[in-house]
Amino acid sequence: MNEVVLITEIIRILLVLILGTAVLVITQRSLNSLFSIYSIQSLLLAVLALVLFWQEGITSLLLISIITLVSKVIIIPAFLRSVLRRISIKRDLEFHFLTPISSIIISVLLLFGVYRVFFELRNELHFGPLFLLGAVIGVSLALMGMMVIFSRRKVITKTVGYLTMENGVLLFGLFVADLPFIIEVLVLVDLLMILVLASLLAFGIDSSIEAFHERLRNFGLDVEE
Amino acid sequence: MAAYIIWILCLPALLSAGLMVWLSRRSARPDNRHYSLLNIIQAAVYTGLGLWLANLEKPLVLSGNGYFYADTLAVYEILITSGVFLLSAIYARGYVASLINQEEIDASLLPVFYGSLCLLELVLILGFLSNNLALLWIFIELSTLLSAVLIVTLKARENITAALKYVFVASTAMLFSFMGIIILFGLSQDTITGGSLNWTGLMAAAAGFNQRAFNIAFILMLIGFGAKSGMAPFHTWLPQAYTRAPSVVSVAYGAVLNLGLYAVLRLLALSQQTADTSLANTSLMATGMLTLGIAAFSLLARTNTKKVIAFSAVEQTGLALAGMSLASPLALFWVVFNQLAQPFTKALLFFSAGIWHRQYLSNKFTAVFKPLILQPLASTGLIIGVAAATGVPLLPVFLVKFNILASLAQQPLLLVLALFFFMVAAGGMGYYLLRAFSQAENPPTPAFKTPLSMKVPVMICLVLLAILGIYLPPWLSEVIRTITIELGMAA
Repeated sequence: MNEVVLITEIIRILLVLILGTAVLVITQRSLNSLFSIYSIQSLLLAVLALVLFWQEGITSLLLISIITLVSKVIIIPAFLRSVLRRISIKRDLEFHFLTPISSIIISVLLLFGVYRVFFELRNELHFGPLFLLGAVIGVSLALMGMMVIFSRRKVITKTVGYLTMENGVLLFGLFVADLPFIIEVLVLVDLLMILVLASLLAFGIDSSIEAFHERLRNFGLDVEE
Repeated sequence: MAAYIIWILCLPALLSAGLMVWLSRRSARPDNRHYSLLNIIQAAVYTGLGLWLANLEKPLVLSGNGYFYADTLAVYEILITSGVFLLSAIYARGYVASLINQEEIDASLLPVFYGSLCLLELVLILGFLSNNLALLWIFIELSTLLSAVLIVTLKARENITAALKYVFVASTAMLFSFMGIIILFGLSQDTITGGSLNWTGLMAAAAGFNQRAFNIAFILMLIGFGAKSGMAPFHTWLPQAYTRAPSVVSVAYGAVLNLGLYAVLRLLALSQQTADTSLANTSLMATGMLTLGIAAFSLLARTNTKKVIAFSAVEQTGLALAGMSLASPLALFWVVFNQLAQPFTKALLFFSAGIWHRQYLSNKFTAVFKPLILQPLASTGLIIGVAAATGVPLLPVFLVKFNILASLAQQPLLLVLALFFFMVAAGGMGYYLLRAFSQAENPPTPAFKTPLSMKVPVMICLVLLAILGIYLPPWLSEVIRTITIELGMAA
């Protein structure tokens, strides 16, 4: 009994912390800090999947935890930092359509909106109170990531927005269904895609067209001349 | 045998991509002729494999877990895709050589360009054969990846911007589909032991789905798959991507749009098995009309030939969505026929626009002069192509527009609205052509000597459209009828 209560409390704390990282992603201007926040957010997600595995014993949750840890906590942030070293930008100061404050206000409204919709659907999707909270925070995180995509100008910040959105979708998936293996493949393809392409294009947008083609020819794997 | 079909289908693209990598390692200066020959051979092999699949008994389960499955619709789409890719492979031979001559593409990028084109065809074919919706999602995402790489191979900074826009709009929308797929999987657990994302299993179980939860899943999936097919308001990537991509790639995008519409078709079929279809049909009609309206008004003030064709493609998506929303066997018959007519209409237009671009080195109508004298075939192609896209009688899109409008007759307001949008779109395209063909004479320029490889695809498209416009072969009609039955829609 005590163990169940403990797990539930840990999950709640993790969910709130994940939401906190989303707010930081919206407001952060320093790119290095942005990558660190994304890394922490992914770590929290990996721990959450591990806790859920501990509670439910479903192997796919363990796999998701490992994949998240390796790809999103280690590889992707390292890759993004290597992109940052090659380009001259260190901070993304420009916001369009939405300022950080208005983004946070809209996020709160979105959170309530999403909660309202899922509260209505809780019986159809067999949600308990904890799973309802997880699904709501997952979808809200995805929508907050989308706001980052639309409100930031730099490609590299947009990429972090997309990755946050993708974390939100995964979080939602963890709480809605026992994900089949194919969904994990789907997550991997998604990561591969955004990793290869956004980095490739980030090189391009911030360098001369000739240098970009040189990198494209080498599939973006060469080092800066 | 069925278990090996997927491997057989993977082989040509992987082999030609591998050979291209090998060729690029052997020679420092890649030769367009070698790469283009490989590309043509691969496209021809896929056309042959498509015909072979068409002759097999269907439906075929191609993998033990039911993830891959070939029914008549999948094979029909594969044949269209391989046909479009074969024509574009032939066209690429002369077209890419001209791009290299004008230094618009770096010859050293040919392996990346042709390799991506080969893999794009494979990804589309596997997408059409995906019975599992998550797998279909994966192949749609991969098609975005390869399409974006194909855009950035041209030497222009705007191409990078266009590719970025494409990736961010399409992938962001696709994440909504991802959520929809998760909800659908959760729903399937109530009716299928352990849950499933296989379309065939979901079709059998859909009657027992909770309606409200399914409606949310439907809308989320429609956002992603619709965005990929150019549905408004997620169409914003399309005009830029179509315009910036080399013409040969823009032609291939016709098949990419077909994959998006194919996913929506599968989704529609699923929705029709549930107890209440009203939300699905209404949302398709609303997005269809919105797409038609945006495309029609966007066509009014265009100055770029390829952008006109791009918005015409958006209009085609609107037409298909509006047709699907009617959910009747007749409307669906013409929507499926449209999947054949539109890619070849767009192919004709892009092939012709590509020749114009080689002649005038610009896509702007202001650069065009003496088109019928300098490039008679391409100019004829553009005139016939625009006529076909607007729905002029005796050309195939007319049949689609006429029959979908006829099916709309019970809803007079929508009928008038659709008719109005079609007329605005036709006016916009007609006005563009009028301006392009009546430019003041510029200083004399030598005619671009169009290679035969660029002329043949234009001629084939012209002949195909002329035939399809006046004669619907009984076997084709039977194939489309079978598809409507497989989608659970036949009366």
